[in-house]
Amino acid sequence: MDPIIKISNLDKYFGMLHVLKDVSLEILPREVVCLIGRSGSGKSTLLRCINFLEEPSHGTIEVDNVKVEATGKGREHRQQIHDLRLKTGMVFQEFNLFPHMSVLQNVIEGPVTVKGMNKGEAIALAEESLDSVGMLFKKDEYPNRLSGGQKQRIAIARALTMQPKVMLFDEPTSALDPELIGEVLNVMKKVAKDGMTMLVVTHEMGFAREVADRVIVMAEGELIEDSKPDDLFRAPKDPRTKALIDRYRSGEG
Amino acid sequence: MPLPFIFPEEQAVNSSTKEPGAQKSQADLLFEAQQRKQNRFRINVILSWISLLLFLIFLFSGVEIKSTNGVTQISTWRFRTLTENDRKIRKKVEFPMASINVGLPGEGVSLKTIIVDSEFIQANLDFVASGIIETIRISVFSILFAMTLAMLAALGRLSSNPFIYALSTFYVSLIRGTPLYLQIFFFFLALPQLGIVLSGLRAGVLALGLNYGAYMSETFRAGLASVGKGQREAAVALGMTPLQTMRRIVLPQALRFAIPPMGNDFISMTKDSALVSATGFVHELMWRATKVGRAEFRNMEALVMAAIFYWIMTLILTSGQSWLETRLARGDR
Repeated sequence: MDPIIKISNLDKYFGMLHVLKDVSLEILPREVVCLIGRSGSGKSTLLRCINFLEEPSHGTIEVDNVKVEATGKGREHRQQIHDLRLKTGMVFQEFNLFPHMSVLQNVIEGPVTVKGMNKGEAIALAEESLDSVGMLFKKDEYPNRLSGGQKQRIAIARALTMQPKVMLFDEPTSALDPELIGEVLNVMKKVAKDGMTMLVVTHEMGFAREVADRVIVMAEGELIEDSKPDDLFRAPKDPRTKALIDRYRSGEG
Repeated sequence: MPLPFIFPEEQAVNSSTKEPGAQKSQADLLFEAQQRKQNRFRINVILSWISLLLFLIFLFSGVEIKSTNGVTQISTWRFRTLTENDRKIRKKVEFPMASINVGLPGEGVSLKTIIVDSEFIQANLDFVASGIIETIRISVFSILFAMTLAMLAALGRLSSNPFIYALSTFYVSLIRGTPLYLQIFFFFLALPQLGIVLSGLRAGVLALGLNYGAYMSETFRAGLASVGKGQREAAVALGMTPLQTMRRIVLPQALRFAIPPMGNDFISMTKDSALVSATGFVHELMWRATKVGRAEFRNMEALVMAAIFYWIMTLILTSGQSWLETRLARGDR
């Protein structure tokens, strides 16, 4: 099977800071991959480079046969980035729902404005994905009246309604109160079960262990370990991975 | 009879299962007390306003209070047209109102308030009042022009193009660095030298619009800055172009933020429109007031009339603005 995401020799500098060091990574269709690592290890930057929210300095990104060179320029390059963004759905740590729109408006905004879908069709699609995250009953509410967990579930529905090939999650539960994390993780499990390719930056080791097909560990801008979750948690190869897992274990009590 | 009703309630409070009814009533009492205090304050403010207003009216009532030899006399003064030696002249005439046999402390004390020529006011009320329409016209045209400019200047300020950035900062700096009065005269008196002749209204609207546009661009900029980076990122991640992101996500939120301060600007512009009267060709409130005031040397009456009209206009606009503000605040933020 051909990989659906193909990252080759990716470098990213923030000024003098070398954040991603020659990173290459392939992800197969329907795979769920968790990216873990200490903060500052470059995992969020890597994720954000995949849809060019962050422009990589070097290398190529390929998602579902849309290939973009980091050093590209001009009209064609911009069109490629646009195509790339249509292939990817993104969920942010801070939800980033549009506060001036109702829940339903938030979810149909992408299909209507970006894809030019007619409104009726978009609403049908939006209601379907809101239903799948269990938030259809709040469709006429405004985001500020919802809990963090509800907002994040809607943000997932918003991304899914664009019918992307892969979903990128950037610490989706880090801004949530502990008792709200479960509902979001459950929705993510469901999305995974439905066969979505997922790349998840997370600190939720339990989720990584239970749901991920592969867990990738990042440190100092490099991928230091890439293995099945059971192997990783049982026998970490790199001492930095071991430290990370020990810390998680002690936190778990 | 009431005992059996009270008893179970108290019991509920004592037995550590928290009875929501008992707790709520205490909170309610506190809330009510607070509400009463607030209401009392509000009523006192309104009463004070009324007394200040009555005092102001009294100050312009023409009432005179004199106290001599243990007698206090109250009278009002009015302007009347009298015929003396076959010539009509306007004179102050005293109309005694009351005489009380109580002396005020101090011999020969007298208090005289300002005498307003009510006949003049009656005769010229319509003429001055019809300036309101012109004042509103100038304000509305100017605010629309100003908003357009402010928006462009604020967007220019965000531009990565150095020339556009410079253009917008240059405009704001130049306009804010010179007086509005000068700008009005510049468009009305200086431009004709270059062969560009603008009517007083056009020159006034141009100057007011340019001036307020420069100030309001800061308001817009704050509005744009209030929209978080995450909002743009979410829009971009959905595949929106920069233009779509601006139009669908950033601008609606920025406007919501900027509308209340823009209401303030509109109110102060309504008053600054009086400066346009300096051109002498725009027959708005201020122009009309000074015209009739000078003609009959009744400047005080004329200006008081205009002041009242301006005040009423701003009162209406202010209440409209606070209505808008609460509506936006209550909305979906």
